[in-house]
Amino acid sequence: MNTSKFILTTLYLTLILTGLFICDICFGSVNLFSLDSSNSLFSTILYDIRLPKTLTCLIAGSGLALCGLLMQSLFRNPLAGPYVLGVSSGASLFVAIATMLLTSIHVSGFFLLGKSVVTMFSIMGAFGVTFIILMVSKKSRSNVTILLVGLMLAQILGALQGLIEFLSSADGLKTFIIWGMGSVSNTSLSDLLFIFPIFLMTVSCAFYLIKPLNAILLNEQYAQNLGINTNLLRLQVIIITAILVGVITAFCGPIAFVGISVPIASRLFFKSSHHLHQITFCLLLGASALLFADVVCQLVSSQFMLPINTVTTLIGSPVVIYLLFKSKLSIG
Amino acid sequence: MIQLKHLEIGYHTNSKRNSVFKNINLNFEAVDLVGLIGNNGVGKSTLLKTITGNIAPLHGEIILNNKKLHQFSTQDLAQHISIVITEKIGGFNLTVWDVVATGRTPYINMFAKLSSDDETIINTSLEQLNISNLKHKLIDELSDGQRQKVMIAKSLAQQTPIIILDEPTAFLDYSSRHQLFLILKKICDEQHKLIIVSSHDLDLMKHYVSKTIELTEEGEVSLKVN
Repeated sequence: MNTSKFILTTLYLTLILTGLFICDICFGSVNLFSLDSSNSLFSTILYDIRLPKTLTCLIAGSGLALCGLLMQSLFRNPLAGPYVLGVSSGASLFVAIATMLLTSIHVSGFFLLGKSVVTMFSIMGAFGVTFIILMVSKKSRSNVTILLVGLMLAQILGALQGLIEFLSSADGLKTFIIWGMGSVSNTSLSDLLFIFPIFLMTVSCAFYLIKPLNAILLNEQYAQNLGINTNLLRLQVIIITAILVGVITAFCGPIAFVGISVPIASRLFFKSSHHLHQITFCLLLGASALLFADVVCQLVSSQFMLPINTVTTLIGSPVVIYLLFKSKLSIG
Repeated sequence: MIQLKHLEIGYHTNSKRNSVFKNINLNFEAVDLVGLIGNNGVGKSTLLKTITGNIAPLHGEIILNNKKLHQFSTQDLAQHISIVITEKIGGFNLTVWDVVATGRTPYINMFAKLSSDDETIINTSLEQLNISNLKHKLIDELSDGQRQKVMIAKSLAQQTPIIILDEPTAFLDYSSRHQLFLILKKICDEQHKLIIVSSHDLDLMKHYVSKTIELTEEGEVSLKVN
């Protein structure tokens, strides 16, 4: 893929993203156009509900897609992703622990403090799981082993989470189960002021990894011979993934399938192995995918919020299966 | 060019020292095509990985251009030694061009932006192996012989005075093996490089290499000049 084609594709994807962004703001239980813009209801809906939700979709979608891409390239395995390998489960479990601890000691007065504690816990959980997966990947070169360990970890963490839920109060449980279904509508604009700088920082860090990521696509030994410090690259990828998945999971719950399916789709649609291209495309495509899922949620039922995970899974997995069968070429 | 002095090679597994071969003393000249032979498991790959700096020697030292190998930065070493290994690569939309372009990794900025000079070097490397016509093909679509040519082109693009190949003929049929050694001989003669190649094709190798180093089961290093 040459530079002009890359720029053209980027513009094209940005256009789609903008379209979806506008759709997502417009669609909802209340028709924004029926309201007068001077109406206080209009600004409440726009600034307190629609805009934060749309921006959350944007951040969560592109963040998770980026994590998926980084993990797939690092492991050279198209089946890697934060949800599949248990990273989201790790974050979830720690969010569960943090939530239960906070509700049991009644610190609801310190709301923002509570959220940042939950986020910290979430990042720790994500970091822990990514770290274990990396240790396994150093011991065993087999991709199957890594995937199986990830799946088993997700099961173990899920079971532990079940235990915590079992022991928790009815109120805590309800909040937690709804959170677990994934939602992009629980973030406020002030939350976004906290999330956005973290998101921006980690995403810009990813652009500094383009060269080592390109080299590691050959394999580890070749990458080392090309002067890449593969241990450093691994560490950088875990940190970026843990922070992004941790923050996104803390606010939106464990969102399924965006992390794994967007990078696969991106490689199938746009035939390039260069990470400048793939990182850019995954960010745009990931944001579009989650916005699209949210628009579908709104269209299906404007009366109640459909959990976003239902839609990402129902759309995401068949799309991946279709693309895999349609394409003769290997994507991983 | 490279000297191996009292070299002991092996691995550290679970903090246990696992020696594979001891007391290797060798001298490699700057321009030469050297064959490395020995039975499976005797330590050929370990030796080559030690020379490329992938694993550290257990004892002794490797001296490259009068400087100890471990004193080279990874970036610097990448501009001195390039490798071609047995393990197959592919997937992820990797085209022939992409793979050969990774040879420029030690020279380009972190955004992996190729200059027009880099592109010329990549094109020349492709031409030298007669695979310019495959430029836009995916690696997965190539035959085993073509894959090895791509990896050698990558090494050429890396512009290193030393190229190390670990069993490059492993998956190849007879005529491709011949062709591969012919290419190596040509590169060695025309571009004045040191090429060290391990292989099991003793008869074939004899026609092309100037020296053969054998790692014997008895733990001895024997050097034969053809």
